[in-house]
Amino acid sequence: MSPILIGIGLALLALLGAPLFAIIGAISMLSFAGEGIDISAVIVELYRIGSNPTLVAIPLFTFAGYVLAESGAPTRMVNLARAFFGTIPGGLSVVVLVTCALFTAFTGASGVTIVALGGLLYPILLKEQYPERFSLGLITTSGSLGLLFPPSLPLILYAITSGISIDKLFAAGIIPGILLVLILAAYGIRQGKKLNIPKTPFSWMNVISALKAAAWEVPLPFVIVGGIYTGTFTATEAAAVTAFYVLVVEVFIYRDLNLFKDIPRVMKESMILVGAIIMIICTAMGLTNYLVDQEVPMKLFEFTKTFISSPVMFLVVLNIFLIIVGMMMDIFSAIIVVVPLIIPIAAAYEINPVHLGIIFLTNLEIGYLTPPVGLNLFISSIRFEKPVFTVVRATLPYILILLVALMVITYVPELSLWLGDTLNIK
Amino acid sequence: MTLLRSLDRLLYKIEFGFLVAFLSSMILLAFMQVVLRNVFGTGIVWADTIVRHLVLWSGFIGAALATGKEKHISIDALTKYLSARTRHIVMVFTCTFAVITCYYLGRAGWTFVLEQQLNGGELVLGIQTWVALLIIPAGYFLIAFHFLIKLIENAISTFDGKQEAK
Repeated sequence: MSPILIGIGLALLALLGAPLFAIIGAISMLSFAGEGIDISAVIVELYRIGSNPTLVAIPLFTFAGYVLAESGAPTRMVNLARAFFGTIPGGLSVVVLVTCALFTAFTGASGVTIVALGGLLYPILLKEQYPERFSLGLITTSGSLGLLFPPSLPLILYAITSGISIDKLFAAGIIPGILLVLILAAYGIRQGKKLNIPKTPFSWMNVISALKAAAWEVPLPFVIVGGIYTGTFTATEAAAVTAFYVLVVEVFIYRDLNLFKDIPRVMKESMILVGAIIMIICTAMGLTNYLVDQEVPMKLFEFTKTFISSPVMFLVVLNIFLIIVGMMMDIFSAIIVVVPLIIPIAAAYEINPVHLGIIFLTNLEIGYLTPPVGLNLFISSIRFEKPVFTVVRATLPYILILLVALMVITYVPELSLWLGDTLNIK
Repeated sequence: MTLLRSLDRLLYKIEFGFLVAFLSSMILLAFMQVVLRNVFGTGIVWADTIVRHLVLWSGFIGAALATGKEKHISIDALTKYLSARTRHIVMVFTCTFAVITCYYLGRAGWTFVLEQQLNGGELVLGIQTWVALLIIPAGYFLIAFHFLIKLIENAISTFDGKQEAK
């Protein structure tokens, strides 16, 4: 069989829903076999990446995120945010954005945010007279908003595949992430004013009681971010501390979850996601190394050089390309398959690899909202029992806003690089 | 078929048990290591290596469990719109492909393990390196088996033409 026929066959199988790790695995094995190399070369690469110390952060953070999602943490977080932001016009939309962003940072934009927090916030939005379309779009958009904040899974994965220090990437995401939240919050507040939505009066009593209720969870983001930025511990150590701390707090202090009844189930659910991701990472490594060996990135660069001469133009094309990637692929496979190919090309155009990472992830964040495979669209559609088309229409204004923010992030590299440089993070 | 199906279910239960054990030890060991390092300025020599391999073991087992829940990462934008019957037919093809690929990946993993066994070498705590790597072929073969059951189930549903309530 000719390679083209095999390629078409595999593409067809992928579109029909065959597991992507098997598709990638088949391609890597066929490529190695074609070169006369034993297929166990795939496994050599698998083990090399599979025993990478940074990989440890993935199961630990994911488990912590799932425990938080299953516990009463979402309710406590929403109450706290409402006590703070309820008083500004459109304040509830700010509550949605902030809580979802924080939550996604922990759960890695796997759809858990929309299910856990969206299910809680959507009825509140409607009750406070926010229009249905506005609310639906807001929740759907917020489902992947925290992607750029540490310790999000995509940031960790990007660090692993690109070889950039994870701490550096963690620092780079903060300011662009805040920018995304701010710009969406501005829209929410404007809509709130326009629609004349009643405000909740501010009261210190509310703030104090909400703070008291969430007292054990509030320090968590500060400990993680502070610990990593001050160099007290590494990202992997932060993951270990978070997993253990969250387990103790939710099981023994809040008693939201039972150690024997709930925790094994949560472990299973979180590790199913981790297993699916690790499968892709492990099998894709063989393929990417094959492609790098064959100098595919350099050939691609030679090709693009004839069309694209300036770095600015490269960034424009890169954004368009990545949005298309985001439409076709989920974020995890996209990172592992695409990143090793574009890093050398971007380097040839003198784009900073850390900045490239933030551009990449912002694009893919938008990809969560774009049809045909935007994950958030489908989760919202199922969770809120609305046709996918309705969700798409509701999300449209938010996509446009995010695209503007993406341009800013792309053309102002300082947003991504300033914090890391100032704190001198290695 | 009933026998295969109960074997399938039994395997899932065993995997679940191992997963909980591995993840629990991973959380405890990793946390202990941080405490020892930051508070007492020491550490367990073998802990980091064990934790890294626990990730591999629980990752593969998680992937095996993902097969049953149909949680493997895949493009499902198209299959969402298919009728139940067509979906069964499509699943027969995709599962067949997954079984074959996982079988070959498992065989490649086995070759790798045999090479490591030949090389010898100890990981830590008297564990031979090749033993720690057994999960790679075992994991792929487990996934292949689960996909095989799925394949058979979907083939049966296709011929029965009955709508499975899901």
